[in-house]
Formats: sequence, C-alpha cells, structure tokens
Amino acid sequence: MNMIASWIGNIPDFAVPFALAALGLIVIERSGVLALGAEGLMLVGALTGIGASLMTGGATVWALIIAMIAAAVVSQLFALMVLVMRINQVIAGLALVFFCQGLTGLLGTLMNWTNKPVSGLQSVSLWPLSELPVVGKLFVQNPVVYLTPIIFVLVVLVLNRSVTGLRLRAVGENPQAADAAGIPVLAYRCAAIAAGSALIGLAGAYISVLSTKMWIADMVGGRGWIAVALVIFARWAPWKALAGALLFGCIEALIPQMAASGIRLPQYFVFMTPYAVTLGVMIWVAIVSRDNSSQPGALGEPFIREERR
Amino acid sequence: MFDATDFQPLLARRYTLEVRQQMAWYWQALVIALALIVGLLISAAILVAAGVPAGELLNEFVILTLFDNQSLRAVLFQAAPLIMVGLAGCLAFRARFWNLGLEGQMIWGAIGATAISLFEIGPPALRLPLMMACALVCGLLWALAPALLKLHLKVNEIISTLMLNYIALNFLLHLVYGSWKDPRDSFPYSPQYRVFERLPELLDGLSLAVVIAMLVALFVLWFTGVSRAGLYLRFVDNSPGVARAVGVPVTRVILGTVLLSGALAGLAGFMVTAGQEGRLTHSFYAGYGFSGILIAFLARNQPIAATVVALLVATLFVAGRSLQVFYQIPFSMVQLIQAILVICVASSEFFIRHRIRRIQGGQG
Repeated sequence: MNMIASWIGNIPDFAVPFALAALGLIVIERSGVLALGAEGLMLVGALTGIGASLMTGGATVWALIIAMIAAAVVSQLFALMVLVMRINQVIAGLALVFFCQGLTGLLGTLMNWTNKPVSGLQSVSLWPLSELPVVGKLFVQNPVVYLTPIIFVLVVLVLNRSVTGLRLRAVGENPQAADAAGIPVLAYRCAAIAAGSALIGLAGAYISVLSTKMWIADMVGGRGWIAVALVIFARWAPWKALAGALLFGCIEALIPQMAASGIRLPQYFVFMTPYAVTLGVMIWVAIVSRDNSSQPGALGEPFIREERR
Repeated sequence: MFDATDFQPLLARRYTLEVRQQMAWYWQALVIALALIVGLLISAAILVAAGVPAGELLNEFVILTLFDNQSLRAVLFQAAPLIMVGLAGCLAFRARFWNLGLEGQMIWGAIGATAISLFEIGPPALRLPLMMACALVCGLLWALAPALLKLHLKVNEIISTLMLNYIALNFLLHLVYGSWKDPRDSFPYSPQYRVFERLPELLDGLSLAVVIAMLVALFVLWFTGVSRAGLYLRFVDNSPGVARAVGVPVTRVILGTVLLSGALAGLAGFMVTAGQEGRLTHSFYAGYGFSGILIAFLARNQPIAATVVALLVATLFVAGRSLQVFYQIPFSMVQLIQAILVICVASSEFFIRHRIRRIQGGQG
C-alpha cells in the first residue's frame, strides 16, 4: 500500500517534463513546422537551468526563466535554418539536436557544472487534499507541477479561442491561404518556434533543476524523442498529449519503485521500458487508426512565396 | 548612360529572391567549400574561446595529424569504421529511410561478434570471418523491424530507430555490467578478443579494416551505380508511384537497401570493438551514429565522396582526442564541430538554389 502511495506521488514529477515538452512541440507543429529538435532544446534548458541556479546561488525561479529564454534563443537558430534558409526540416531538426548535444556537453564540462547539486524548489502541500489516503502524495509537489495544468489551459485557450491561435493554425493548415489573407506566415512560425521552445526548455530545466537536482551530460536520455512520439499519438491535441504524458509518467515512476521493492528484475531491462512502450504505442496507433486528418496540413513543408517583393 | 536606380540610396533599392534553374557544378563546389571554410572558422573561434592557443590550432590539426606518420596511420585506422557507417547512411538515405539507428545496429553487430569470441564458436582459422559474418547478420536483423514497420504500417522510422538505439544500449550495458564482464577486473567491458580474433595489420600499419572499408565502398559504388537494384533505387527515389506502376518491386528494393545499411553498421560496430580495445566496452559506439548521418549528408549519398568525407571526419576524431589529452577539451567538441559544419553546408544550399537580384527600375 505504502509502495503504491509513493509510486502515485512520484508520477507528476516524471510526467511534467513529457507534458511540457509535448505542449511546446504542439505549439510549433500547429504552425506547420516539423520540430524534431526537442531533445536538444531540453538539454539546453537543463544545462542553463543548472548553470543559472549555481551562478545565482539558488534562485530557482530565475533559473527556470533563464532556461526558457535560453531554449527560445537557441531555437532561433532552427528558425533561421527552416524559415530563412529553407533547409529540409528533418535535417534542420537533427542538426539542432546534434548541435545542442555537443554544445551542452562541452559547456557542462568547461564551466564545471557537472554533478554539482542544486537546491530545487520546496514542495507545497495542498491541504486538505494532501491528507487523502493513497493519492495524498499527489498533492505534495513542487509549484511547477501545479502550474503545468494552468499552462495547458492557457495554451489551449490561446490556440483554440483567440485570433492569434486561429491565425497560427491557419498558417499550419494552409500557409498560402493565410498569406493571401494578410497573415505574416514566417513571423507567426518564428514566434511559434520561440514560444514552443521556451516550454520545451522549461521541460528540460524541470528534469535537471527540480527532479534530478544536478547536471549530467546527455541527461535528457531520449525523453525529447518520446515527446515527439507523444505528439503523434495525441494527434496534435494538447489534452490527449497530457494524458499520454501521465501514462509515461506512470511508467517512469515505476522504475525506481521496482528497484526499491526488491523485485529481482534485471535493472537494464527495466530501463528499456519507456522506449519499448513508445515503440509499442507507435505500432498500436499505426494499426488502429489510419486517419491523418488531425495532422496540421502543411506540416514539414517550407513556405515559399516566390516573387516576394 | 547611367541607370536611374544607380543613384537610389541603398535601402530604397528593392531586391527579389529568385529560384535558380541550375548552377554550374564548379560554382556549387565553390559555395560548399566556402560554407566549409566558414564552419571551420566558427569552430576555430570556439576552440580558441575554450582555451586552445590560436597558434597551436594549425599545428594540432593540420601538421601533427597529417604530416606525422603515426597520426596518419591513426587517421586511416579511425576512418575505416567511419567509412562503413557513412556508407550505411548513404544507402539508407537513398532509399529515403532516415536510419538514425546506426548506433543500435553497431551495438548489435559488436555483441554478435563478441558472442562468437566468448563462446569460442568455430575453429581459430575461421573465427575472424565468422565474427564478421555474425556482426553483419546482427546489424541487419536490428534494422529489420523498423524497416518492416515503416513499409507495412507507416510507423515513423526516425522515432522507431532511435527508440531501438536506447533498447540496444541498455542491453549492451546489461551484458558488460553483468554476465559478460571480464572476470579479471571490475571495469564494464568484456574479456579481450584473442589475437586471431582481431583485425590483423596487412602491411606496415595498414589494418585489414581499412582494406575491408575500401572494398565495401567499391561494392556500394557498384550496388548504387551499376547493379539492377541501384537502378531501381534511383527510380524509386525519383518517383515511387511511377516505379510501382511499371512493376519495380518497390517494397523489396527499399527493404533490401535498408537491411544492407544495417548490416554495414553492424560490421562497423565490430571494427570499432576489434580495432580500439579488442573487446566490447560500454561506450564504444558513442558518436558514430551521428557521424554516419553527417558523412552521408555531406557526401550527398555518393559512396566515393563518403569515403573522402569519412577521412576528414577521422582527422577530426584523432585531433579531438589529442585536444582532449593536451587541453582537457571534452570530446563533445568533436560533435559540436560536426554539427556546425552540417548547419553551414545545409545553409549553403540556399545560395545554390536561390539568387538575390536587384529589381530593375523598381520604384517604392
């Protein structure tokens, strides 16, 4: 019983990075830009979060904000590649991941930020919910966990209920029509990349600053790629992505529980589970649904209006 | 006579972006060369910022690595597995398959070869060919699942191959920290291969690995340029629909090419383990997957060009290791430099495909 309670209590901590990264990816991809760079941007967020936390002596809130800004700034390199240089979006996304992996690995060592513990944020109990049996620990979390559903509501409102969101989706569905209607296509895509990347950076900083509380090279460990897959399962719908993130949070939260429970399972096979589940869900989705109707119409296609004057 | 536009202030002039029809090959080469130079200059600036004295850079990279006999051998030796992964990348990309699973396929190739050594399968004289064959088969099998999933269920191969990399990596760790650990000490690696299980040196300093890599490059050149499968592959690449309509076995051509790509990556995995430490280690594969994709991209999927680019990347690897030793610069620098080069060259295509022209008589 105790084990189940502590497992449930750990789920949000593992689910939040997936949820925020997937939400950021949805914002970018709804504008018609195929974003494969999440893994790299999460690394940038994770490293700058720790760096800022160490340099400011534990100003965690500022560290998270700086991480978001850093990811948004680095994402403009991607924006330059796909919007201005019109590089194939798959190549640009992969190049961004490799660039960020190299850069964060290098800076983490040169600045001597590796394996230095940071303080993180204090947990906040939501009394009286925190006194509930079994699920009580769900309501003893750091503030960012409570903030995540609010961020989701805000992003969904902007995407689905505002003129800005309508234009953003129009740019992703049919950029030629949006352009004819006078919407600045590239500006919207650029802004979507920056805003989405800030969320992805926050996801990375969550892992390093609030969860692991230190930086280790390549610590994101494929979660960015899982988030990319999550967006595909969720058919670009934010709430479905949140549900998927919770599923992966449940699985990842099981890993330390299994080690603690004394069940004799080969450790490295347990570590494989998130990746195997991702693969399994991808196959399942491919078998069950064949409709691509919810995919942004212009996803992955560069917008080229020739004779631009 | 002067044109009226010549007297306009600079910002009042109007420009237009046009798509070029075609650019002569020598201009293309010039643009790419310029992009590489820009990338190298940015990399050099980063190296100087990281603490390498600017004067030492030229010495470290060019003179020490290319004009010293021993380092030249190290470069050739390093190039062999890089040529293999580069060719694996070329093949997969020609089939329009984003094989990001090169590292997973390398890991399985190395595991397969090591299994032959550990369980002493076959007589000593046949051991080395057996290990290489096993590496080929294991790499091929690890590429089979994502290829079938893509062809039959349209499962995105970028994600599936990457997920399989993490699964392969965890299996490797399970082996080298577990049952395959060398009983003589506590480091995460397998027992060393025996002398007859390692790739021998043929001539003075010329490893068999280099010869195999050259032969494989020739084979890939034949496969893509001369063979019937290569012809089909170009057909499928240009227009899958038309290819299918005229009876080209599209699925089989793509499947075969991707499997060949996986097999080459598997053999590359064996080359790295046999060449470097002569055993399975927990991180032998690191960086090769990315380099394979980079080599294929820079070489535009041409086998001969891939061999040349692989030699350059090998130089970077060797120089990166000496920078690590002498200036404590982490090896991630090598990955960063490669990423910068990719970004620069990819960006240069913009100038090959477009031109900026002033509009004649354009009046605001």
